[in-house]
Amino acid sequence: MSSLAKMWREFRTIAFLTIDTLFWSKKTIFVALISLFIVALAILARLILTYNWIRSPFTPPQVFATLMSTAVVHFLVVFITLFYGTALISEEVEGKTLTYLFLRPIPKPVIMLGKYLALVWITLLLVVPSIVFSYLILYLGSDLGLFFEDMGALAQDLGIVVLAILAYGALFALIGAWLRHSVLAGLLYAFGWEGIIPYLPGYLRKLTITHYIQSILPHDDTAVAIAMLIGERSGPLESVLTLVLLAVLFLSTASLIVREKEYLIEQ
Amino acid sequence: MTEILEASGLSKWYGQVIAVNKVSFRIGPGVTGLLGPNGAGKSTLMKLVTGQLRPSQGQVALFGQRIWNNYPLFRRIGFCPEQDSFYEWMTGAEFVAALLRLHGFGEAEAESRTTSVLELVGLADARDKKLGAYSKGMRQRIKLAQAVAHDPEVLVLDEPLAGMDPVARRETIRLVRGWGKAGRCVIVSSHILHEIEAMTSTILLIHNGQVLADGDVHQIRDLIDQHPHHIFIRCSEPRRLAEILFRFEDVLSVRFEPDGRAVTFESEKPDEFYQRLPDLLLRHQIELEEITSPDDNLQAVFHYLVK
Repeated sequence: MSSLAKMWREFRTIAFLTIDTLFWSKKTIFVALISLFIVALAILARLILTYNWIRSPFTPPQVFATLMSTAVVHFLVVFITLFYGTALISEEVEGKTLTYLFLRPIPKPVIMLGKYLALVWITLLLVVPSIVFSYLILYLGSDLGLFFEDMGALAQDLGIVVLAILAYGALFALIGAWLRHSVLAGLLYAFGWEGIIPYLPGYLRKLTITHYIQSILPHDDTAVAIAMLIGERSGPLESVLTLVLLAVLFLSTASLIVREKEYLIEQ
Repeated sequence: MTEILEASGLSKWYGQVIAVNKVSFRIGPGVTGLLGPNGAGKSTLMKLVTGQLRPSQGQVALFGQRIWNNYPLFRRIGFCPEQDSFYEWMTGAEFVAALLRLHGFGEAEAESRTTSVLELVGLADARDKKLGAYSKGMRQRIKLAQAVAHDPEVLVLDEPLAGMDPVARRETIRLVRGWGKAGRCVIVSSHILHEIEAMTSTILLIHNGQVLADGDVHQIRDLIDQHPHHIFIRCSEPRRLAEILFRFEDVLSVRFEPDGRAVTFESEKPDEFYQRLPDLLLRHQIELEEITSPDDNLQAVFHYLVK
């Protein structure tokens, strides 16, 4: 058997084991509820618009754009990757199961990578259906031409979500592998640093992941508009490349930390 | 002796706390008992020899190679951890098979090895039961199963008999001895001398992170016999049992536990005590609920050796 096939089997086993671990963790109910909340918001918006419950200046596509750029990209993706990313190693340490993984003839960085793939996969599984359902709920039943016309933007949104998951997932995996109070550190970054810095003038904004995501979002909601009013967007190519590079950098650092760090499993 | 495992000047500390202090030893094929009271440094030493921890000072080598982050070496090591932790949602078979796949075995090979090893540890009937529903003894045996499933040359077993019922304990002791006889290097830890003695006569005595004695268990046994041995028994009729056993000369004292359902004996000949106990219990129809050997006597030996 080729070493590639062997490595793939190891990846797959680690990934499935991690998906199971994450799936059975208490966080999953919470995370699933948040994902459903996005769909619930879309349903509510659709009802309001259809039955004119309140006078609204927005069209369904505008609601979808706001939902995407605020609730999905800046909240749902960040929240899920934060909770699952920081748990990749810490959940195994707290559950005292890390011993079983680290005593296999697999380099620890491979274990980290397998776990990261699981994180990306499970996050996609939770986020993508929410986006697609929201799109269907808000677009179907009105102008079908618009439904097909905006599918390009939907595809772009999904691509941006994948990039966001890759970058945030790698960052939170790094924080989880490195720090003891990783959830707190992750929350501070996500809602402290990223909540303030993008709205400050100057180049400091380039030290946030959200800046590169805002730069390529096809929709302009208020938050994005304010941020872009203060400073310029980065170019699409620069943004995409930076997000990919950040993911690679964070993941490499996380792998290095996992390889060198001693995780104390208390008896 | 062909050395498989060798430690020289091995130390491990956590901040200000020294867990293992300049330990040197050589271990070859067969069973070696790692004996010491709780907190002596046994588990830290086991984690060092299985590459879970990096030495703070000194060296530890397996087959002449350093262990920390030496992944190919893990093919040759099996480890049974002390902690009672699992992926609770998995069945016993899924757990062992998943870990075998991480050893590079294909689906079919992992499945066949899982079946064999579960039979070996007596869990064939419980293979499809969730680990969360396993009893303490079954959980001990599944840990043992995952440690031996890939057929390692070195087995490190941290308190493998803890929580096992007498039948499983006897069977596990038989397995450990068998693995030792087959030429595997088996390191087994316990804080109970009788457990170790049943598996091997070669021991490594550790206390406060230091090796106090290294060699034949009989030397320790002689020391032990100079110190009265405590035996805690919980049974249906502790007062009657005390009355029966107190007639024997080796029983020095009897102390009833506050709940009135257990009694602790002090004997200067523990072997004779343990030998006669089953017959007496049967003859007088006293139901045994629990029998443990607190390590006070071992502690006394440690104090003696330290002095």
